Amino acid sequence: MKALLRLAVMSAWNRRLDGFALSVSGTDLIVGGRAHPLQLVLYAVFHLGDAPPMMRWESCERLAGDPAVAWHIPLALGDSHHGYPVVGTTADYFAHFQYGDRQALRLAEGRPFSGLFEAVVGAELAAHMGYRLGQSIELSHGEGEIHGMDHDDKPFTVVGILAPTGTAVDRSVQVPIQSIEALHLDWLGGVRAPGFSIPADQVSKFDLTPKAINACLLGLHQRGAVFGVQRRINAWADELLTAVMPGVALDQLWQTVGGAERALQALSWLVLAVGLGGLMAVMLAGLNERRREMAILRSLGAGPRHLLGLLMLESLGVSALGALLGLLLVTLLTFFGGELLAAYGLAALPLTVNDSEMQLLGLVLVSGLLVSLLPAWRAYRLSLADGLIPRL
Amino acid sequence: MRGALRNLMTIRRLLIRHIDTNMAQTAIQIDALEFRWRPDGPICLCLPALTVDGGKSLFLHGPSGVGKSTLLNLIGGVLQPVQGRISVLGRLLGEMSGAERDSFRADHLGFIFQQFNLIPYLSVLDNVLLPCRFSRHRALRAGDVQAEARRLLAALDLDPALATVAATQLSVGQQQRVAAARALIGRPDILIADEPTSALDAPRQAAFIDLLLSEAGAAGSSVVFVSHDPRLAVHFDQSLALTAGSAA
Repeated sequence: MKALLRLAVMSAWNRRLDGFALSVSGTDLIVGGRAHPLQLVLYAVFHLGDAPPMMRWESCERLAGDPAVAWHIPLALGDSHHGYPVVGTTADYFAHFQYGDRQALRLAEGRPFSGLFEAVVGAELAAHMGYRLGQSIELSHGEGEIHGMDHDDKPFTVVGILAPTGTAVDRSVQVPIQSIEALHLDWLGGVRAPGFSIPADQVSKFDLTPKAINACLLGLHQRGAVFGVQRRINAWADELLTAVMPGVALDQLWQTVGGAERALQALSWLVLAVGLGGLMAVMLAGLNERRREMAILRSLGAGPRHLLGLLMLESLGVSALGALLGLLLVTLLTFFGGELLAAYGLAALPLTVNDSEMQLLGLVLVSGLLVSLLPAWRAYRLSLADGLIPRL
Repeated sequence: MRGALRNLMTIRRLLIRHIDTNMAQTAIQIDALEFRWRPDGPICLCLPALTVDGGKSLFLHGPSGVGKSTLLNLIGGVLQPVQGRISVLGRLLGEMSGAERDSFRADHLGFIFQQFNLIPYLSVLDNVLLPCRFSRHRALRAGDVQAEARRLLAALDLDPALATVAATQLSVGQQQRVAAARALIGRPDILIADEPTSALDAPRQAAFIDLLLSEAGAAGSSVVFVSHDPRLAVHFDQSLALTAGSAA
């Protein structure tokens, strides 16, 4: 039974890996400076790995003007808050960003940002740091690992808290992209300009249009146009850009880690086999102790066939219980362990069980039944030989 | 309406009882019985003739290994004789199919064994009710099965509070009385007890046998009682000693 449980957990892991791809959905293309597609996707969606080259703001504007493009979400990354990534973006982020099964972001509390120094925080971050609406927070330059590199002169106010998504969004601080620009007005080459600072109430006098961004998420009017648009962007003469279909890039990732996944799968099959073997061994070993019980049932009018059925039913019950417990565990894990897994950059897992897993569970039940055949047959033989009075 | 239904049930019960008493003139009749485990093996049991009349009690005794258990298996229709005929309640067991013998056993025979009589994962009450689940006939004869089970448990000196307790929590003596209640529910025609008292001490043996026989008498059941202890024979109507290879 334990083994069946473990199998379910294993299958959950596989599913969890699939869920990775669900961190971003509805986005047709991710555009950034020329880089490896995987690097771009990992950085833009999961905030993992090294930053790919920036792209110019004008290029983003031009993309937005492309007739095939329905919406665009510029992303300016690189700052952090207590180790959590900061995402500079526009209000379109809340309107168009989708994850999982095309679910839109939802605010648990508050509203999207509208003013310059307003922030919307992810669910996990808010829970972990104990943030409420109205909380004042400071961002740090870069990953925040160097002391004194804080943007402590320009604090932000939390105006919204997002509902949990099970994606990287849960761990991010979303701020207006102009405020990222504002933060760095008095910075020069990655450090605070010495003897020169611009107070927060003065920044609106400056042009806060960003010069460059890290990436831009694009949604198209028609998905079918995606290859044409991708080719156009990749062949752009003005700037070296990379346009990636997120699904394709993540598939590439799977091909890389596919070996590990297959090994995991093989292991889960092995675990299943050992588990079923254990079930059979336990049933066979328990048979001797149960000869008395079977003799009693026999005396009450049960035929040998009844006993055969009884044992098979028992095995089926045990398998079903194991499968159910496994399902339950997977569901609980998704519910309560989602944050933990999200910490490793893994994405939302849909709670529905898909067909192939149902087939797998069915297979577990059938094999549980098959495994019981030998003990049940032995019980049948024993009950014929023992009759009503087992010789123990 | 309910009254009419109850009348109908009563008539039905009386009818069943009438048929049963007609059938049960002779409870067990055995002729020229021979049994061996393997076709070419030695004869394990040889019984020229045995008759138990309906409502009477038979005491079977003999040392271990003379075939007492084999005889019970034969009467229960779980084993088949090599030669000879066994008829129970006027029906020849040899002429029935295996499934027929199973349901015949469920309908007409009640068993008590030496010990570990109860299904450990069922409550006391559920253990007593088991025969009614296997046999519609016995359930009908018991009437309100729950009430009948509780009545039998009370008649066998068991605390009513024990009815819902798990079977394994009882003492050996209590377990034997629960087993007796189970064997007696639905008034089977024949009660077969295989050394039911050997796990009890001497004073409780006699008490248990008296209780068993009086309840069997009340239910109108014939009794076949097996023991290695010939001193118990005084409690029974007839007695038969089995010796190695044959019966005297």
